[in-house]
Amino acid sequence: MIVDQIIAASLVLTTPILLAAMGGLVNRRAGIVNIALDAKMLAGAFVAVVVSSATGGWFFAVLAAAVAGAAIGLLFSLVVTRAGANMIVAGLGLNVFVAGVIGFILNWVYDSSGTLRLPDVQLLPRLLPEQVSNVPVVGLALSELEPLTVFAWVSVAVLPFMLAHIRIGLWLRATGNAPQVARAMGISAPNVQDFSTAFAGFFSGLGGAHLALASIGLFNEGLTAGRGFIALAAFYFGRDRPLTTALVCLLFGFLDASQIRMQTAGLPPKLIGTIPYLMVLVALVIAGWRAHRGKAAAA
Amino acid sequence: MTEIAAARRFDAIAWFDKGIGLAFPFVVALAVASAVLLAVGENPIDVFSLMAAESFGSTRRIAATLSAATPLLFTGVATAICFRSGVFNVGVEGAFVIGGLCGAFVGFSLPAGFGLALIPLAFAFAAIGSALWLSVPGYLLARYEVDEVVSTLMLNFVAFGITGYLVNGPLLSEISGNNVTPLVHEAAQLPRLLPPSTVHAGFLVGLVLVVAYGLWARRTPSGFEGALVGHNRRFSKAIGISIPATIVLVMVISGIVAGMGGASHALGQLHRFADGFSPGYGFTGMAVALLGRNTATGILLGAILFGALASAGTTVQLFSDIPLDIVNIIEGTVMIFAVVELGRLSLRRWRGAS
Repeated sequence: MIVDQIIAASLVLTTPILLAAMGGLVNRRAGIVNIALDAKMLAGAFVAVVVSSATGGWFFAVLAAAVAGAAIGLLFSLVVTRAGANMIVAGLGLNVFVAGVIGFILNWVYDSSGTLRLPDVQLLPRLLPEQVSNVPVVGLALSELEPLTVFAWVSVAVLPFMLAHIRIGLWLRATGNAPQVARAMGISAPNVQDFSTAFAGFFSGLGGAHLALASIGLFNEGLTAGRGFIALAAFYFGRDRPLTTALVCLLFGFLDASQIRMQTAGLPPKLIGTIPYLMVLVALVIAGWRAHRGKAAAA
Repeated sequence: MTEIAAARRFDAIAWFDKGIGLAFPFVVALAVASAVLLAVGENPIDVFSLMAAESFGSTRRIAATLSAATPLLFTGVATAICFRSGVFNVGVEGAFVIGGLCGAFVGFSLPAGFGLALIPLAFAFAAIGSALWLSVPGYLLARYEVDEVVSTLMLNFVAFGITGYLVNGPLLSEISGNNVTPLVHEAAQLPRLLPPSTVHAGFLVGLVLVVAYGLWARRTPSGFEGALVGHNRRFSKAIGISIPATIVLVMVISGIVAGMGGASHALGQLHRFADGFSPGYGFTGMAVALLGRNTATGILLGAILFGALASAGTTVQLFSDIPLDIVNIIEGTVMIFAVVELGRLSLRRWRGAS
């Protein structure tokens, strides 16, 4: 029983991180470290709640969230690729800016500080009939399956192929790995990077929509709780490979899901929460140490 | 004659460019804020003049502004030290929080009998704690080329986690509710400069640090080396400056300054450590350093400016119902446009073409 619940909760909590991580990974492949994934998730969540309430349809809400994320991503990208802004500082600035704009709208339009409850918010539909919950172990997880989780995992399966065989995927990798070669081939690096950042925004927006519409159906200023940064940690740890990154996301989702249980077992949740970040540090150190050793051996 | 005139004109253009460089992000931010205010049907000029009056209108309001500027002096300097050497330390936020916890810990755990000695002890402990904290990513960058942006960013979250755990567990105050440590002894509290306002002696410490930073940066060999490393690593290496040593040095100094800022905030403002100790002082400090172009004067002005925004924002929210979030909008815009390469937008391109 407990196992069922942990599996279901892990899967649900993985989806938003996974979506944002897939976007961020593509972005980084094209040479842009996107530190503003969190802002786009937040915007996606907000737009999803507003649109879902206004139209009463989850599909338009999700689409609007993704488009909002992509639009913010594109603006961010233009500042970086056309005006030469440092992507780290601009990304951190964007996080502050988007939080400010959303807080302002919440306060001004909805007269609320922090939380937005709207009537008739339609949640993401469950895909499978109720009866699947009778399946042992994974039944609960299956019964809670909604479109965005399926989409996230399908994208994990498709992305490696896209990056390896489709033209735009090759352009992306060329731009990120060897900008000179890309230019020599007549690829416009800024255009490709803009596309990749919009793509990251699209996926982060979807992640935000999932946070808001998977079960709670409301928006809160602290809804993302730094998940954009967890996603960053995931693709850094997964070395920008979709499959590895997805597994790391699953691990982070599992940690998130089991926090409450670990708390009853005497492990403080605040310390558990630092594990993803520590893992990235360790991964970076190992990678750096290996490169260093390799260099020393070559010399 | 014509050469001198041309040189003068060039000088004037350079100064003009520099002036734009300093004012540009803020002007854009004000324009964005104006657009937001116009969109909700408020007169931006009214709001801005109200904000100006609320931040500098009376001694009391000025004191509130300086109080809000105090942590930013520390975080601004801590950020600038690294940025000018080309080290992208975004971990000042975490170091500030660690310093706050260390400072508060000394302030309430040592016997009250230490008296005034508690204050330097708390500052020293906080400085050491945060210096050690930032020396880790510094060392990793210097030795193994571990990307400092990611490592310091990740360490921020680790700092939040560790301090959050400590104030909910081992260091939780027994008498007051959740998420706070006990109050520091009265002797450890920094004196208020202009009661009843909360501006405290930490402001003076911050001011001294800004001046010291300015002197270090402009008048000492190690300050010069730091800037040189930021300008051109290969050249610095060629003339015998140790890049790894410089990186570790600036990270450690940055940690010391950030830690002292945390101690000042804990001993002077909150008189304890609490969960949510810093509402992003480290990140605002980054905006301050960027706006001030890493100069001491610029940091001082930037800190006061953002302090004014923060203190005015709160009261403006009370008087006209403009949400406090307008401050975040301005801050975010400043950060984004402070790093826009003006060369591509300003006179330089036009001159290059002509």
